[in-house]
Amino acid sequence: MSMQNLIVDVSVATNSSRAARPRVWARGLFLLAIGAPWMFSPVPAHGQAADTPAAAPSVVQTDVKLVIGGETVKNNSVGTLSVVGSSLWFAAGEKKVEVEASSILDISTNEDSRQDITGAARLATMAIPYGGGRVLSLFSHHVDVLTVEFKNANGGYHGVVFVLAEGKAAPFKKQLVAMGAKASLPLAEPAPANQ
Amino acid sequence: MQHQTRTAVSVVFPIVLACALLLIVGAVMGQPGSGDSKSAQKFSASSIQIEPTDPGDVPLPPEFRVAIYENLIAQIEKTGKFQHVYRSGDKDAAGAPDLVTLHTTARSFTKGSQKKREVTTVSGSTSLTLNVHITDHAGQPIVDRDVQGKVRFLGDNLRATYDFSKKVANIVRDTF
Repeated sequence: MSMQNLIVDVSVATNSSRAARPRVWARGLFLLAIGAPWMFSPVPAHGQAADTPAAAPSVVQTDVKLVIGGETVKNNSVGTLSVVGSSLWFAAGEKKVEVEASSILDISTNEDSRQDITGAARLATMAIPYGGGRVLSLFSHHVDVLTVEFKNANGGYHGVVFVLAEGKAAPFKKQLVAMGAKASLPLAEPAPANQ
Repeated sequence: MQHQTRTAVSVVFPIVLACALLLIVGAVMGQPGSGDSKSAQKFSASSIQIEPTDPGDVPLPPEFRVAIYENLIAQIEKTGKFQHVYRSGDKDAAGAPDLVTLHTTARSFTKGSQKKREVTTVSGSTSLTLNVHITDHAGQPIVDRDVQGKVRFLGDNLRATYDFSKKVANIVRDTF
């Protein structure tokens, strides 16, 4: 009987030491479960299409208007244009456009002028009597136009036109050409900025 | 004397009336856009490929070339006449059985000024004319005509490309 008890006692002692092991395992599994999403979360690689650019931008310009050709971005959206890694990025709110420098067939800069008063305000000026609205039309400013022609992943031809502040398009062209973008016309020396 | 006048009127009046009738009938028959001729020229195709604008000898700025292209893609997709609107160079277009191709070649370009347009109303309009050439899979021409795009009063210069593309989309609607 006592022998039986002893045996029973030994088995109890062994079970108690073994019972600690599953607790360690459970803790390990718990930590693994918490850590796994962090371990396997996708980190955007260099040059890979991602929601946000990974590297710091080398050229940035805010208040850029995407006039046409932005696929997912609406025409005439205003946003930030930047060169990040080896790509040209345009972001307007949640929407983004990315063009790899190596896919650019031609990039060109041009000059134009834009009216200072546009949209609904422009229509409102038409109601000003004695030709006052026409006088306001005299107020305009010079802008740069950046045109980028490129190929998509399927080989399809695309074009996108941006309007930037005067003298701001040339750095983008220079940077993208240095990264492998083609340009039919060489970059002209930028005119000194009017301060 | 009075009798002679009456006789003259009775002879001349039917002649004038007959001439007038002939002119009216001739004008109606000679109308170029009558319903029958339109429906007889309808073509069928499931896909179209749009080639970039050829500037030819015309100094067409790159932003205008690109704006024409992107507006054409958008407006032709909007017609709903084709299942696929392929961009130039798209690899998938090679497998399309009844593909038609749209080519545009610049004929003339006048860059106006938005400021002039809005200040004077009568000057500063931007205008561009391009030849629109649509060919079938065998290269046979379906459409070959010059189309003009203009911006006269309000809007920036690139709006002429939108006007042009709308007109091309109307031609596509009438042809397919």
